[in-house]
Parts: sequence; structure tokens; C-alpha cells
Amino acid sequence: MLIANIGGSVRRKVMLLVLITTVSALLLSATGLVVYDLRAYERQWTNDLNTQAEVLARASAPALSFGDSKAAANDLRVMRVRPRVLAAALYTSAGQRFATYTQDGVPTVSFPEAPEADGARIEGDQLVIFRRVVENGEVLGTVYLRALYQPWDRLRDYLTILGVVMIASLAIAAFFSGWLQTAITAPILEVSRVAREVITQDDYSLRARKISDDEIGELVDSFNAMLAEAGRRADALREADRRKDEFLATLAHELRNPLAPLRNALEILRLAGTNAAMSEKARQMMERQLNQMVRLVDDLLDVSRITTGKLGLRKAVIELQAAVRDAIETVRPFLEARHQVLSVDLPVDPLPVDGDRTRLAQVFANLIHNAAKYSAAEAPIAFSLAREGDEAVVRVRDRGIGLDAASLTSIFDMFVQVDKSLERAQSGLGVGLTLAKRLVSLHGGSIEARSEGTGKGSEFVVRLPLAERPADGDAESPRHDGRGARGRRVLIADDNADFANSLGSLIAGSGHDVRVAYDGAEALAAASRFRPDIAFLDIGMPRVHGYEVARQMRELPGLSSCVLVAVTGWGQEDDRRRAQDAGFDRHLVKPVDPKEIETILGSG
Amino acid sequence: MNASRRAVLALIATATAFGGRAFAQALEVTESTVKAAFLYKFAGYIDWPDVALEPAGGAFVIGVMGNDEVLAELGRIQPGRSVAGRALAVRKVRDLDSLAGVQMLFVGRPESARLPVVVRAAQRQGILVVSETERGLEAGSVINFVVLDNRVGFDVSLDSAERSGHRVSSRMLAVARRVVPKAG
Repeated sequence: MLIANIGGSVRRKVMLLVLITTVSALLLSATGLVVYDLRAYERQWTNDLNTQAEVLARASAPALSFGDSKAAANDLRVMRVRPRVLAAALYTSAGQRFATYTQDGVPTVSFPEAPEADGARIEGDQLVIFRRVVENGEVLGTVYLRALYQPWDRLRDYLTILGVVMIASLAIAAFFSGWLQTAITAPILEVSRVAREVITQDDYSLRARKISDDEIGELVDSFNAMLAEAGRRADALREADRRKDEFLATLAHELRNPLAPLRNALEILRLAGTNAAMSEKARQMMERQLNQMVRLVDDLLDVSRITTGKLGLRKAVIELQAAVRDAIETVRPFLEARHQVLSVDLPVDPLPVDGDRTRLAQVFANLIHNAAKYSAAEAPIAFSLAREGDEAVVRVRDRGIGLDAASLTSIFDMFVQVDKSLERAQSGLGVGLTLAKRLVSLHGGSIEARSEGTGKGSEFVVRLPLAERPADGDAESPRHDGRGARGRRVLIADDNADFANSLGSLIAGSGHDVRVAYDGAEALAAASRFRPDIAFLDIGMPRVHGYEVARQMRELPGLSSCVLVAVTGWGQEDDRRRAQDAGFDRHLVKPVDPKEIETILGSG
Repeated sequence: MNASRRAVLALIATATAFGGRAFAQALEVTESTVKAAFLYKFAGYIDWPDVALEPAGGAFVIGVMGNDEVLAELGRIQPGRSVAGRALAVRKVRDLDSLAGVQMLFVGRPESARLPVVVRAAQRQGILVVSETERGLEAGSVINFVVLDNRVGFDVSLDSAERSGHRVSSRMLAVARRVVPKAG
């Protein structure tokens, strides 16, 4: 922490670290050593002097015994060989000074008047010792010794040595930190240099050089791996961005494409007047172009659901064959227009699958549509459904342009299209397979593209887990016999008079009894009088909005079994749920496909 | 003995023999007191021959001939003291027949004439003889008291000590006034 706060480069920090460590270690150990030695010095010197006193006591015992002070003075003079002993004295057992000794050159020493109890004590820079003289159990007297006690000299010696050692250590430490600099900081500096270059040059292909095999080497490896990963991600982002740009261009193109024929058709209608044949031709052209636009917008909605993760399923156990039939029904006009033959191979036994029939039909239609789109006119397309173990397997085979190996997986990515040179009117938005893959995986299945190469056709295989119980009742299954139930009472409510009237004409034209209302209140009034079998209600109506109309209608007598259909411009999941909560049975998004209306009329 | 001499003797006696404990009696200290104390202390610096210490377990006996003052002083020192692990005892010796059991014999000045005879008898029994006459060592005693400059000192004859089978500690010899070495 301390180190981190110090300014300067890593190199300086390493140097400081080494120096601080060295100095603290030295100071600590030196302090410990000095303290220990001073204590040992005191103990040792005291012991030493005690021994001297003991020797003196023994030597002078006879002199004390027989009162020979001359002999005693001689005994004391032995201390001459110990220059640190400044003075010595003998006291009789009665406490009188009996003999004294003073080291040569020592100024007059004042001896204590009377001896003290045994013991040693330090007085300034001197050590004083008293020791009784005992012989044959008799206390004969006391020895007194006064000696130099100079730990400070010793301490000064120590500090001098410590200073020299410390200077030497610092020199060595400085040398080693220089060495560490190359061993540790050089690789780090290399990494930071590369990092700077990557940022300034925006080049993720740069790599740091690995110098050592230690943790720093690992750091360099990780850093290089991160560079590689960052490079990959930057590429992926660029790629995604490019595809999005392409998609937007495609989208604008696709949406604009049908507009010219539509305008032409309108002009033809104006010019044709009563020429029925020409009007019919123009009408058919407009229908085709409109369908194309509706499909584009539906795709767009699905794209938004995929990206926001709101692609939901309404699951039930269904017969897979039914979804296949729905899909074939959807794509048949496209195939017929291109004079392509679709061979269909379905098993006789029903294959139950827990899934969303509409969405599964969408998947199969997408695959057939793709096969047709990327095959020449009149080319054959094969569709088969079979049971393989506990899976239902769908294969869609064509003899079209095929796929190269790289495209086999990328084809499922958003906005990817195989052949950008294809006529735009046929190419779509490039989300069909993405959607198909997503839907299949939501069903717990898988989808796979196979091709032997460009120009050799392709095969798409969908695998779906089979349900363990047979399909639910056929009640929800839409019928495609078209005109199944005639003469129903139908109520239409929409504040857009053109829409309400045109839809009314369309339904009345199919032989149903129709009433039209232009706001919510009118719709409620009509409902109570007319008691419709089916009601198509706009949501955003004046006076009473569609949700409220639905709620109130549900409470009217005789209307509990009435099929309520919400018709709105809003197709998000929330809107569907809200409509369901209000009591609606179905939810249609404008523009409404006449086929859906037919289906509802047929089933309701 | 005049007054000044008594005072000096008192000082020495206090310093050596009795310590503070005996200070109250210091004024009564005389030459005899000092000699009695020295006699007791000599015992601590001397190795006794085995023959002198028989029978085992008995007391350590200092015999006194011809000096009742010293005998009395020894009597006062004796209680509670011991030599070579034996209790100290004091006995007055009148003639050579009563030497049995004595380890150390002090021959006073009045008996000096008999000294050579006493020494001969004592040497046989391993008894250490201490005298207080001018030519005591020449008469055969091991230790002889000398009074010089009002101080009590002593001479030692290692020759006599060897004859009676005693060994005198060199530490004691260090404070002796004169030491007569072994013959030969």
C-alpha cells in the first residue's frame, strides 16, 4: 500500500522495495543483537566481578581470621591485573574497613564507611559489588569491588559495525534491484508498450513477447489471449454491423419493390374503366404485391421478437402432419407461379408433437419457400416427414444452387443470405432460416443444413421430439375446406369506415349476414340486438374502446359463445395477452389476411 | 598490661573472632581472648592425622596446660562451635597422663620448661602443640604465639608439623609471621 502510493515507475518502486526491506531487516536484527549483547554484557561482567570477589574473599579469609591487614592489602593488590577494577576493599565482620586497594592512576576513591549486603549494582558507569567472606561457616568480613561498567563503548562499536554492514547491504541491494528490474519490470514494460500500441494503432494482431516462464510470463500469455479475443470480438462486431447495414439496404429495397407494380396497377384500374379482364389482372397483381409486403412486415415483426427474446409459443400436442399441410397450403401459390413440383411423403400414422402448429407450419413453409426460391423454375422439390426413433424428422431437398461448406452453419445467422445477386423480388430479408432455427430450438429440436457444394442442391433436416401422448382433439384445427359453415351472423366494428365497410363487403360476399358499427357504443347496441355469432372488433375506437366492448358483450345474454376477434395494428405479445384478458378469442393484426378471416368464419 | 594495649587487642579480637555478636564483650578482650580465638581458628586450617581423630564420633578437644585465662576464654567460645565436623570441647591438662582424646594442646608460658617433654608425648599421639614462649618452635611446638607491637602473631614450624603428622594450610602460612620449613 505504501509502495503503491509512491510515485514513479515500477522500476523505482522495486528499488525502494528492496532497499526498505534490507534496511528494516538490518535495523531489526541489529537492534535485537545489541539489546541481547548489552544484557549479556551486564550479566557476564557482573558474574565475572562476583567471581573476582569470591576469589578475593577466599584468599583474604586467613588475613581476616588472624587480623593481618598487611596480608589483606597484599591479597587485594592481585587486582592490579584487572585494570577495569578501580578499587577494592575488605571490611571486618564488625563493619570496619580493614584493607583497601586503588588502581594506579585512579584519583582518590571514597570507600563506603560500612559494607552493604551481598549484591551487585550499577552506579553510573561503574559496577559495585559486595560479597561476604565466609569460612568454616563463620562470617569473617566483606569484600568490596568497584569496576568500570561501560556498555556505551560497546554500543558505539556495534553501531560502527552496523553502519558499515548497512552501507555494504545497500550497495548489494541496489545491485540486485537493478537485476530484478530486468527480470521483472522488463516483461511488464513490454506488455504495457504493446497495450499502448494496440490502442493507438487499433491493431489487435500485435502480441507481447514472452520473456520469462513465471507468473509474469503467464500474464503475457493471458494478455495475448485477451488481445486475440478482443480482436475476434471486434471482427464479429464489424461483421454484425455490416450485416445490419446490408439488411437495412435490403429492407428499403424490398419494401420499395412492390410499390411500383402497385402504382402501375392503380393506373391500369383507372384506365381500364369497365374492361373486366384488365381490372382483374390489375387486381391480381396488387394482391400479389400486397401479400409480398405483408410477408415482409411479418418477418420484420418476427425479427424484433427474436432480438428482444419475445418469440413465444402457444403449445399443444398436435399432429405434425397438420402443420405440414398448413405449410404446403401457404407456399402452394409461390410454387405454382414458378411451375415447381413439390413431392410430399407423409407417414400414415399420426406423429404427435408438443408444439405451436402455426409456428411449425411457418418453419416448414420457410424451408419449402427457400428451396423453391433458390432452385430454377420447374425444378423438383422433395418434402418428407418420417419417424426416426422418438423423433419426427422433416427433410426438404432441392436441386438448387446449394451451399458451400462455410455457409452450412452461417446460413442460420441473422441477415445472412446465400446469393446476394439473386433477383431482389425473391430474396426476402434473410431472416427466414434464423427464425426457423429459433422456432425449432424452442420446440426442443434441431435444424441442420446439408449440401455437397455449390450448385449441387441442398437438404435441410429438422428433428423434433415426439410427444408421449396422442394429439389433442381436433377442435382447434383450422379447416381448409373453406366454405364449411355458411350463413353466420357477423358484427364488424371499426372507426375506420373504409376498413369496416370493405371487410363487411368481403364477408357478406361469402354469404354471411353482416352488421357494421363505427364506434364502441354503436357496436354494443348492435350486439345486443343482432346477437352475432362472430364479432370483429377494433381496439382503438371512440366512445368505448374494444377491450370494454368485449367485456360488456361477454355479459350480454346469448353472447357467451360468440367468437370475439380483436383486429388491431398492434401485434406485440402484450397486446395479445391484454386482448385475451378482455375476453377475446382471437387476435388479428392489420392488415388482415382474408384467409385468416375465412378460417375464423369456417371454424367459429 | 596497660590500658592502651588492652584497647588494641580488643579491636583485633572483635574484628576476627566474634563479629558484631560479641561486641558487647569487646571491652573485656585481652591477649588471652585473642589467643583463645586463634587456637580455635588454627584448627580450621590444619589436616589432622587419622590417629588423632580416634575414636570416631568423639568431640574435638583442645587441651590447655598452664594458662587458665586462655582456658576460660576457650570455654566461652566453645558452645555451638565445631571443628572437622566434631563439637568443640575444652579440657584443662595437668600432666601427660591425661592427654588421651586431645587433638590440640596449648602449653602456657608457666609450663614452657616442660615443653620438650610434652612435645615428645604429643607427637606420638598425633596431638598438635601450640606454645607461647620465645623459643617454642625450637622446643618442638608446631605453632608459637608471638606478641609484637601490641599485636598477636604466630610462627609455624612445618618441620614439627610433619613430625606429629599434621598438614598446615598454605593459606594460614600466608599470614604467619615466620615459617620454619621442613628439614632436608
